[in-house]
Amino acid sequence: MSRKLKDDVVLKVDDLSIVYQTNRGDVKATNDISFELEKGKAMALIGESGSGKTTVSLSLIRKLPKNAVVTKGQVLYQQRNGEVQDILKLSNNDLRKFRWQECAMVFQGAQNAFNPVLKISKHFEDTAYAHNWTDKKAIRERALNLLRLVRLDPERVYDSYPHELSGGMKQRTLLALSVLLNPQIVILDEPTTALDILTQRAIIDVLNEMQEKLNFSIIFISHDLSLAAEMADVVATVYAGEIVEIGDVNDMFYNPLHPYTYGLLTSVPTLDHTEDLLKSIPGSPPNLINPPTGCKFHPRCEFATDKCKTENPLLLADEGTHLAACWHPDKVLEARKETV
Amino acid sequence: MLQQILKLPLNILLFGWRIRGNRAGLIGWIGIVAYFILTFIMPMFVEFDDEPKLDEITGPLGSRIVLVVHKDDADIKTFEDLEGKTVGVVSQTGGPILIEPYADTLTVESYRWSSRRDGPGIQAALVDVANKEIDATLIFSKSIEEFIYNQEDAELKDLFEDNLVISNPEFGPPHILGTDTQGRDIATHIVHGGRVLILTAVIGGVISTGIALVLGSVSALLGGVVDNVATALTNLILAVPRFPLLVVLAGLIRFDNTLLLGVLIGLLGWPALMRAIRAQVLSLRERDFVEAAQSLGLSTNHIMFREILPNMISFVSINFIFSITFAMYEQIGLVVLGLAPISDYTWGVMLYFGRTRGTLFNPDGASMALSPVLAIALFQVCLVLFARALEEIFDPRLRSTA
Amino acid sequence: MASNTNNIETSQENNVLDTLYDLTQKITKNYTIRIFVQAFFTILAVMTFTFVLIRLMPGNPIDVLIEQILVQEGISYREAYDRVAASFQFDPDATIFDQYIEWLTDLFRFDLGNSITSPGTRVIDEIARFLPWTVFAVGTALLISFVLGIVLGMTMAYYRNSTLDHVLSLLASFMTGVPNYIWGLLIVIIIGIQWGLFDVGAMRGTYDSDVTPGFNSAFIISAIQHATLPIITYVVSTLGSWMLNMKSSTMSVLNEDYVNVAEARGLKDNRIITAYVGRNASLPLFTQLTISIGFVLGSGVVIEEIFVYWGLGHYLFQSITVRDYTSMQGVFLMLTMTVVLANVFADLTYGFLDPRVRISGEK
Repeated sequence: MSRKLKDDVVLKVDDLSIVYQTNRGDVKATNDISFELEKGKAMALIGESGSGKTTVSLSLIRKLPKNAVVTKGQVLYQQRNGEVQDILKLSNNDLRKFRWQECAMVFQGAQNAFNPVLKISKHFEDTAYAHNWTDKKAIRERALNLLRLVRLDPERVYDSYPHELSGGMKQRTLLALSVLLNPQIVILDEPTTALDILTQRAIIDVLNEMQEKLNFSIIFISHDLSLAAEMADVVATVYAGEIVEIGDVNDMFYNPLHPYTYGLLTSVPTLDHTEDLLKSIPGSPPNLINPPTGCKFHPRCEFATDKCKTENPLLLADEGTHLAACWHPDKVLEARKETV
Repeated sequence: MLQQILKLPLNILLFGWRIRGNRAGLIGWIGIVAYFILTFIMPMFVEFDDEPKLDEITGPLGSRIVLVVHKDDADIKTFEDLEGKTVGVVSQTGGPILIEPYADTLTVESYRWSSRRDGPGIQAALVDVANKEIDATLIFSKSIEEFIYNQEDAELKDLFEDNLVISNPEFGPPHILGTDTQGRDIATHIVHGGRVLILTAVIGGVISTGIALVLGSVSALLGGVVDNVATALTNLILAVPRFPLLVVLAGLIRFDNTLLLGVLIGLLGWPALMRAIRAQVLSLRERDFVEAAQSLGLSTNHIMFREILPNMISFVSINFIFSITFAMYEQIGLVVLGLAPISDYTWGVMLYFGRTRGTLFNPDGASMALSPVLAIALFQVCLVLFARALEEIFDPRLRSTA
Repeated sequence: MASNTNNIETSQENNVLDTLYDLTQKITKNYTIRIFVQAFFTILAVMTFTFVLIRLMPGNPIDVLIEQILVQEGISYREAYDRVAASFQFDPDATIFDQYIEWLTDLFRFDLGNSITSPGTRVIDEIARFLPWTVFAVGTALLISFVLGIVLGMTMAYYRNSTLDHVLSLLASFMTGVPNYIWGLLIVIIIGIQWGLFDVGAMRGTYDSDVTPGFNSAFIISAIQHATLPIITYVVSTLGSWMLNMKSSTMSVLNEDYVNVAEARGLKDNRIITAYVGRNASLPLFTQLTISIGFVLGSGVVIEEIFVYWGLGHYLFQSITVRDYTSMQGVFLMLTMTVVLANVFADLTYGFLDPRVRISGEK
């Protein structure tokens, strides 16, 4: 695996395989995950709970739990100066410097993301100091600008304690904090879950504006397709620890090739679909200690054949950048034609 | 509900089995059972040693009476061997007591503890055995050191060393914990000294837990004025430091009965627990199953006894054990200060006498000072270990293994 | 709130009620003020409680004293009553309520009356002699114990389930299990008498008799020497519970999101341990601190007797022994006041450390 990345690629994940060691056996959380993230683009990782999408994102900043082992793969990151590092091999100190400055991760639910005994200003300063930026005035100025960008009253929020802010305000403050050090990548884990509709809208708008102004790459993790539709440039569906389909957002939504993606799309009502066209995906997520043979989706797939039960399909290019790991993408095409 | 309370001791015993995974708790539980046997069962078999013995003063651990005979009679070792023989015993020592049951199978030659003409009775008895005027004598092991090995009179020393032999170094029962400054066996004191103490502590614990339970639940369930008054009263009593208040009250009111003291301790000990119980009941009251019971129209009584209290058993049991430790603490504190009745010779009273007579700080009296101290300390520790283990069992978050 | 009525008087009344309402709202909302107000009322309540106790209890000192004087001197009841009244500083002809008011005003002027057994000495003077020593010993001990407990507790939480953790946990349980005066006795008996590491006799009192009090080093060293044993006893008996409480508190904090986020932000470990974990984990310990203060100060009665350390507890015990009722009463009140004030101090520190309480006024 080479370590040279194309100029416009900021992150390249190769064959990432992660295993959780538990009492009941090894849980194969991810299996040969590979993708590239281009500069300034937004990628959405869509999947059910337990599909492995959060595990992938945690591995990018190496915040995996203690019982997780990376059995294979590399995570290549290209700094602004062109230097390429494998995140998995960084020393503890380099990792600390990497975190937030190069890649920031905003966890799900900002309710408790702030230290209750410190002011918001202290949080910003702490973050800056840890990365060798000690100019208090400059920090404050940038922070206020960012708070303004996320549509908060800058002075008021900056001087308050976390408990004085509402949930939505905290979420936005966390977003502002995440780009304080101008990272190239921002990972957002379920940014709109557990928020009311109006706040969701506000967050999405804010994110769009931020990305425009500051030009960072985003990785979304979500199960919310509408979010992906609005914000992502690239969408990847993840099932049982593998990327089963990846491609341009339009391709994915209008021309899904994998039965799982198709299933996800048809289970969500849209403006022009009526109730009787809704189908949920039967069955339940697979056991990752003893995953199904062959294609992991085959027990729940309406198009499954014998081949699917024995051979695991690779992520194959159907056309250019739209890849699907399925032996029968044509069947998906047929099914769609019937419903349109 | 009443059944559950009555089954409590059985449950506590069964906990020993449940607790086996928690090492510290197991130790605590074994300790509590051991103490129960020590203080309630063993006194039935062990007699309280009330007899001052001048030769056994501050005898070391394991010291006991030995049998000294002439070296020609070295095979005389037991009471049976002594049948028909003449045995010398010295008054005011352990000898007369030991030999009393056998007084009609042998001849007893009595020596006075101090005889003006012949010197100490023990020495006179030893001389007589050496000179074959009597067949044997009973003497305390510590005295052997004093009168034979460290004998200053050279003549006597030769006499003893040439003629005397200790035919049975284990003639009398051993003083496991040695003897106190009056020559009385400490182990028997320890065995008898726990009963009243523990009973008083339990009474104090029961009363304070009971009051806290009733007041706390009623206050939480009824709310309003009742709640406000009860809380204000509780806060007032909490503000006053408990032990000094107890000290003042004990100083002013003379107590004749230790158990009554336990009642007083119980009457002062409920505030802290009352607050905790009130908080528990309040939080339980908001829970769904109570709301369901209320909407079914069930009475407050029913709600309290059938719905809320059973959920609090574990919490209350743990705090009950802690309240016993507090009651014990306060009780012994008062006794050590001399403000509590000292009619029963409990561990606390041993400490009190130790302090007032200075024996606590006597280098030779190590066992006498430490035995009650350790008895109290280990009992408290066992209770605490057990209670903490219960906490861990009932609150999984505290468990040490995830 | 204030409705516009036609009656001018009513509206004026309403204004007064309004301002009163606003005032109480302000008081209860401001944490600091609330703490002081609560303390004030508690002290008032305790004073009243003592007043009632002294008079109404069976075997109450007033009746006992009167009895005593009657027996000893055979004067009339009225004369005996007057004399006792003088000692207890109340006007024998006044009503109970007036007596109460006089009692309160005296207390607020720090006039605690005169000692009965040592006539001529004011109780407040005696208290002033003994109080500083108790505060010194207990304060130092609690400080050491608290800090050490926090550090060890955090260590135990970070190294959870290691051998160190198990050993320290067992040790902590053991240390709290043993009553504090038992620790005192053990220390004296084992370390002092048996091992002879220090001269027990020389440790009596609060400082050596040949040293002059004042800010000289000999005095300070001597004072510290004499206070060492009580301090060690207090520390050993309280350390265990701090350790265990801090351990469980730290364990919950380590599970909090903000610690996770702090690590993701690339903060240095030192910063996280102190400002993020340490500070939040030590907050719940302050409730424990208020309880501890009361308990340790109260237990001083026994411990000071064991170590012959002449502090307030010792004075209380002495006055009980000789039936010096006014001293007893004065010391008891003083002890309670000290506990209340120490708790005020602890509550204020908590307010300083936890902005959630300070700013919103609610807990």
